Amino acid sequence: MDDVTTTHRPHKHLRTESVPTDPLKPRIVLVGNPNVGKSVVFNYLSGLYVDVSNFPGTTIEVSKATYLNYELFDTPGIYGVSSFNDEERVARDIILNGDIIINVVDAVHLERDLFLTQQLIDMGKRVGLVVNMMDEAKRQKIAVDLQHLEEELGVPVIGTVATKNKGLEEIHDLVVRAREGKQNRTLHADLHARLSTVGSQGEALLLMEGDEVIAERHGVPPTDISVREEIYIDRRNRVNRVLQRSVSDVETGRRLASMIGRWSVSPWFGFPILAVVLYALYMFVGVLVAQDLVGLTEDTIGKGIVEFNIKSWIAGHAATTVDVDVLDAEGETAETRSFRFDEGLQADRALWKEAREFPGASDAEFTFTYDNPWLVLFFGEFGAVTMTLTYLVFLLLPLVLGFYFALSVLEDSGYLPRLATLVDRALRFVGLNGRAVIPLILGFGCVTMATITTRLLGTQREKTIATTILQLAIPCSAQLGVIAALLATAGPLATLIYTAVIFSFLVIVGTVMHRTLPGETSPLLIDLPHMRMPQLNNVTKKTLFKTWFFMKEASPWFFIGALVVGVLQVTGALFSIMDALEPLVVGWLQLPREAATAFVMGLVRRDFGAAGMFHLELSAFQIVAALITITLFVPCVASLMVMLKERGLREGMIIWFGSLFLALFVGGVVSQVLI
Amino acid sequence: MRSETLSMLGKGGRARIARLPEGEMRSRFIRIGLMEGAVVSCLEKLPGGTIVLVFNHQEVALSGDLAASIEVARL
Ligand SMILES: Nc1nc2c(ncn2[C@@H]2O[C@H](COP(=O)(O)OP(=O)(O)OP(=O)(O)O)[C@@H](O)[C@H]2O)c(=O)[nH]1
Ligand SMILES: [Mg+2]
Repeated sequence: MDDVTTTHRPHKHLRTESVPTDPLKPRIVLVGNPNVGKSVVFNYLSGLYVDVSNFPGTTIEVSKATYLNYELFDTPGIYGVSSFNDEERVARDIILNGDIIINVVDAVHLERDLFLTQQLIDMGKRVGLVVNMMDEAKRQKIAVDLQHLEEELGVPVIGTVATKNKGLEEIHDLVVRAREGKQNRTLHADLHARLSTVGSQGEALLLMEGDEVIAERHGVPPTDISVREEIYIDRRNRVNRVLQRSVSDVETGRRLASMIGRWSVSPWFGFPILAVVLYALYMFVGVLVAQDLVGLTEDTIGKGIVEFNIKSWIAGHAATTVDVDVLDAEGETAETRSFRFDEGLQADRALWKEAREFPGASDAEFTFTYDNPWLVLFFGEFGAVTMTLTYLVFLLLPLVLGFYFALSVLEDSGYLPRLATLVDRALRFVGLNGRAVIPLILGFGCVTMATITTRLLGTQREKTIATTILQLAIPCSAQLGVIAALLATAGPLATLIYTAVIFSFLVIVGTVMHRTLPGETSPLLIDLPHMRMPQLNNVTKKTLFKTWFFMKEASPWFFIGALVVGVLQVTGALFSIMDALEPLVVGWLQLPREAATAFVMGLVRRDFGAAGMFHLELSAFQIVAALITITLFVPCVASLMVMLKERGLREGMIIWFGSLFLALFVGGVVSQVLI
Repeated sequence: MRSETLSMLGKGGRARIARLPEGEMRSRFIRIGLMEGAVVSCLEKLPGGTIVLVFNHQEVALSGDLAASIEVARL
């Protein structure tokens, strides 16, 4: 096999498809394997922040920015240009359309990464190579001869430490110097013979490599896959030869970080390390954030100050009844008094003053009931505006921030892929592979947030299974707090039964779906990146970025959910639903009729459902039955909406009604058996 | 020579890849450098068969069924 360098005369190109682009600006595309630092480079060049993390496959969508007079694209990490998964399909088209490819590779993983580099070169693209992570290479005593690499590949090469901005100033020069590299001569000739059928050398190559999508696009039968294998093996061998001449290394030293990395996937230490991680996660998110911080923000600031002020301002000129509940030290209502304002608070300031001073030094809850149903809808007890505001800003925001912070730390340390490895076998029982552990853990924070994250799973089948498990069997942190409190009053036996039922249910549903859904679990094949110390500055940026993304995506749904329930309440439909549910609740679940209210409220916010149970006098087993029903049923409206968006109307509805039915069924069976 | 698979490799074991499965997985293996003739060693083996391999300075985890589809010659 001989190598050739083609003269730099661009072949005729044909636009292949439809990423919105500006025809006047040349397009630079950042391409590389997962986790090599593409997004750091993108951030540097564009000044925009996109997701950076030590977990392969964090960038799922394409980001676009302007850099000088170029259009700049960040693509998902891929191992090669083809159509093996969603990321590859997305990246493939951007690459085909790109004018200049900036290929980022990991200095430590050149054997792996240069395969893609050579493929890009074989596509006839103008390529510039960024050898990133030079610091890691140095630490591991791997010497990369950039000069030699440049000669061997025939494209310009620079070395960088992207996280420290080292070497990145040369990128501009690299963009200008990017050119076509050394290609396999026979392959090149073959490709040129095909240029008349397809638009570009890149497409010709993908066609030869059996890419079915490209074949269909040009209406030709896909090439036999044996041709692809030949090309791949050839390319692999060439890469290995290039490397032999450009890289030398000394035995890897034993660093503490790599020891921890090793232990975390060992059968002996792996699970204890996991236990420690989960415990730390629980202490941080479950106790510090969900209880202490949210207690402060939700009750004191959200309800006590913000909601109170909004509601009393609205009530200023509107006919309103204000009920004041004075609370005793236990938080129970000790005394209640109603104040009536026919023309609003401002018209009777003396009475309003009396109302505010009525509780004296004790805590109190103020309930504003407006005569005008519109005001009730937006600002009343379950007012769409007031409730959404408190919920989003003072409950969810701190929780999501806390959760993403913890997740970012785990992600950047490189622990997550090891966790995926550790639990792969267990998740296989329910038809998932190890990667699904990420959305499942996130679900304990917020199911809505986790449902969005199922995007990182490889196949539609896995997304469906993971979403169903999330919606059904994973209680979110808002619910967990209430569940834990109720179980504490119900005792250890109740807790045991609750946990056992929920867990076995999760396994059964997963197993049934695994057995009945067509398709197979995609096998786990995952890179374990080096463990490294998370950088506070990246962790912070990432936490804010993810939180912002989540809030932007989910907030409207929380508002709409609250509005729907508000309408049901104002029109009286809520009470009809509760009446309709009563026989089921009383007869089948054997709970007091008021429990129906709690169930319906659970639709707006999952935690309301559980919280509603607080005020009912329930026996230990009634608590178990109620909590099981609540956990399995009522995904909150926001998570329902997000699910419908992610999974489509039909599948989303099946999951939702399925969970409704199963919740009542399982809850009822437990109740009938126990009580 | 008796045909063994990667899944039979214990912790610390080394082997040369003898035969990859056919189909799409084959191309994916070749891409990451896991091809016939490559030498791999087993860093860890988890109960249930998930295996962590080291080759070419990289650590890669494979689920048990994948490992079982790759024939190797033990070194
Ligand atoms: N030590 C070191 N770490 C780096 C360097 N460049 C990036 N990183 C880290 O490598 C990890 C991956 O960086 P990203 O920019 O997210 O990688 P990516 O290529 O966009 O990854 P995907 O989008 O998942 O394909 C992050 O933890 C970065 O902080 C570098 O030069 N040296
Ligand atoms: Mg990225």
